[in-house]
Amino acid sequence: MPTSASASDSSVAVSATRRHSDLLPRLASSDGLVQVKALRELKNRIIGNRTKKLSFIKLGLVPAVADILASKADAGDGRHSDLLIQSAAVVGSFACGFDAGVHAVLDAGVFPSLVRLLSHLDEKVVDAGARSLRMIYQSKLAPKYDFLQQKNMEFLLSLLNSENENVTGLGASIIMHSCETVAEQKALCQAGVLKKLISLLKGSLSQRDASLESLATIIKNNVEAVSEFVGSDSGRALSSVIELTKDRYPRTRLLASVCLIVIRNTCPCYLQDIGIKTKLVYLLLELHDDPGQVGDEASFAFCTLIAGREDLQKLAFEANAIDKLYNHLQKGALHPKRVEGILLAMAELCSKLDSCRFKFISLKALDLVINGLTQDSAGVRAAACICLKSVSRSIKSLCAGDFMNEMIVIPLVQLLDDSCTSVQESIFGELEASSLASLVSDSEPLVQEQALALVRNLVDGCVNCIEFVFAENGIILDAVGRQLQSIPKVEIGIQGMYLLCNVASGNEFHKEAVMHQLVPQAENGTQSFMIKFLQSSDSQLRTAAVWTIINLTFPSVPGAFGRLVKLRNAGIISQVKTMVNDPCLEVKLRIRTALAQFMTSDDGSI
Amino acid sequence: MPVRVVESSAPSQLSEGANSVQTSPQACTLLSVGQTFSGTQNVSGLQKDEAWRVNVCIQGCDLEHGYLCGTMEALNVPMADTPVVTFWEGEIVDTKNYTFFTGKWEATPEDDIRHWTKFSSFNPLLSQVEVDGGKSLDLSTCPYIFMRWKEQYFVNVGTDCGLTIAGFYYVCFSCSDGSINGFYYDPNSSPFQKLELKSTNEGRSGFSFSSYELR
Repeated sequence: MPTSASASDSSVAVSATRRHSDLLPRLASSDGLVQVKALRELKNRIIGNRTKKLSFIKLGLVPAVADILASKADAGDGRHSDLLIQSAAVVGSFACGFDAGVHAVLDAGVFPSLVRLLSHLDEKVVDAGARSLRMIYQSKLAPKYDFLQQKNMEFLLSLLNSENENVTGLGASIIMHSCETVAEQKALCQAGVLKKLISLLKGSLSQRDASLESLATIIKNNVEAVSEFVGSDSGRALSSVIELTKDRYPRTRLLASVCLIVIRNTCPCYLQDIGIKTKLVYLLLELHDDPGQVGDEASFAFCTLIAGREDLQKLAFEANAIDKLYNHLQKGALHPKRVEGILLAMAELCSKLDSCRFKFISLKALDLVINGLTQDSAGVRAAACICLKSVSRSIKSLCAGDFMNEMIVIPLVQLLDDSCTSVQESIFGELEASSLASLVSDSEPLVQEQALALVRNLVDGCVNCIEFVFAENGIILDAVGRQLQSIPKVEIGIQGMYLLCNVASGNEFHKEAVMHQLVPQAENGTQSFMIKFLQSSDSQLRTAAVWTIINLTFPSVPGAFGRLVKLRNAGIISQVKTMVNDPCLEVKLRIRTALAQFMTSDDGSI
Repeated sequence: MPVRVVESSAPSQLSEGANSVQTSPQACTLLSVGQTFSGTQNVSGLQKDEAWRVNVCIQGCDLEHGYLCGTMEALNVPMADTPVVTFWEGEIVDTKNYTFFTGKWEATPEDDIRHWTKFSSFNPLLSQVEVDGGKSLDLSTCPYIFMRWKEQYFVNVGTDCGLTIAGFYYVCFSCSDGSINGFYYDPNSSPFQKLELKSTNEGRSGFSFSSYELR
């Protein structure tokens, strides 16, 4: 009956609360045996149960356990070993896989007490302390160590040199969590940490895994560290990592693969062997079959393997990667992290090769991506967008209208609407001449280049589009002229020059405005940047400069001759004439066109 | 003794060509994305004399892979109510990705030679092409780019429009003036239908270039 069931429910709740509140005084008891018993009970209740962990945290039990640890941690005589072991276990349990637990544990000031346990005389206490700290180090919230400080480095080395595998494992976890800069990587290598980690590759399963993960952290994007590792033990260290890709444990195979990918991505000269590349592709695809964390992480590792590398994307395509990933994605009810990883892997696969894109489209994988656009997880939505962007790079599919249907366009527009308003503003709100002019003059060369390319494309549309650069008193054109006086990199010169070239393909007024930028009215003795560009060692920049001259002297336009005279006076025409045998075929051909036009306009005076 | 680097007025051949073993055609701005061409295709058969007006726009270009693609619009096609637009993909003969021998689309080496020799600019290359399809030729200094354009699908009409895109074009592009000549090859259509296109400026007094790229 509903009534009695409800009564029984509430009595259970009351008794649970009573037992909860009962634990607090028992933990504070002066009798060590009562405390141990209470700790054991607490540990058993919270194991693997987030709800219970949270309710005990709210009841203030973590500080009570912290007090026991703090008061007994320094007693190295073994009298309180059981109490310390149980307290450490409870703390570790609170922290295991639960960030709110890690928060509570760190807030209660447990961390220094646990570290003190590592120097306890009782090996079991040391082990319990190390286990507990390892749980904390699974979280991003764990404290970081600065390895540039001597005492921290000494502490780390003492951990790695321990006989206890949980202590060495803790050392490895601290490295993974704390090592972020090249300076730290260097300091760790110099202190002999790399060698120590290599020796741990021969240790127990947990030591091997921890060592592989830490190795990847220390050598990532650090050419010197990679060279030291590859050269270690006459190459035996590298061979043992390669060997571990065949290990019976999936996690070890994954970590060994990640380590090899880091080596290859940092120093492409290593691991060039097609056999290893193929093996990594097949291995990572196979690891997707793992239903747990290894399977979730496999896609991300796969992404780093193939990112930007057409050769590996081709190998992956030949290994039926698209079909395999598609089959996983189709299963449904997957963890959002896994969906995100697979979508990103698909995006990488389709980033360069049309063969991959066609395969993707032929499998109707697009439907799954469209589904991803409306998922709850922001990571999945973002990954779906990236994947769509990658697949839609196929000009063949774009021209066929494959992506212009409401199934794709509507969710995309909605995404712009609800979660990316800032993006929307930045795209549509900023297209004012003054804003673009400031982007052209941005302090970042890459921004300058992109801004110039954008304006170049804008004025390449219909002839009327050229008027855009004359808005707000020609603020953009003036900014371009100023930027071209001194270019930090050649790409900026190329984009800027083509921008002027496109403007100069317009009417008389447009051509004169470009002339004004190229040949300033004031005779201040400075050389036109045009001459520098024509003399550039970059053939693309020379080509752009000659095209501009061709447009300025385009025949049958009234002012062509006048401009020719001005260009001659600025020394530009004589420079052009020296280029008839330019080593670049395109420049040579354009120079011929220009010279032919000069002949047409010339009345004999040029 | 260290000396100041002085910019030379004439660009040095070495600066660009020192380690070069480049034998592929060089990039040409007139054959870049966004460039447009217009002209005619002569479709004369035995009984009729006919030419369609044709516009072409380059939509994509990937020289590394010898790839080019674009759209082709035929304007006064008798059996169609609207201009017929097709999407085509091109193979650039670059000796690396593609040679002068087609090796597919029902074209034998003899068909290839018969069509390529229609272009006078091909004649200096003929003897070597007969040996190895032109694999060992150096096309980096050749002012012409040879290609095959194969239409892939109709963009704006159905496949039941009464037209065929079964064949492909042998194409010769002039880097000097951007003109394009081509010959359509389809064993089931009139032979040697000639395509003649010129670079267009679309109302401008000069040339304009975009830098579109899918990133």
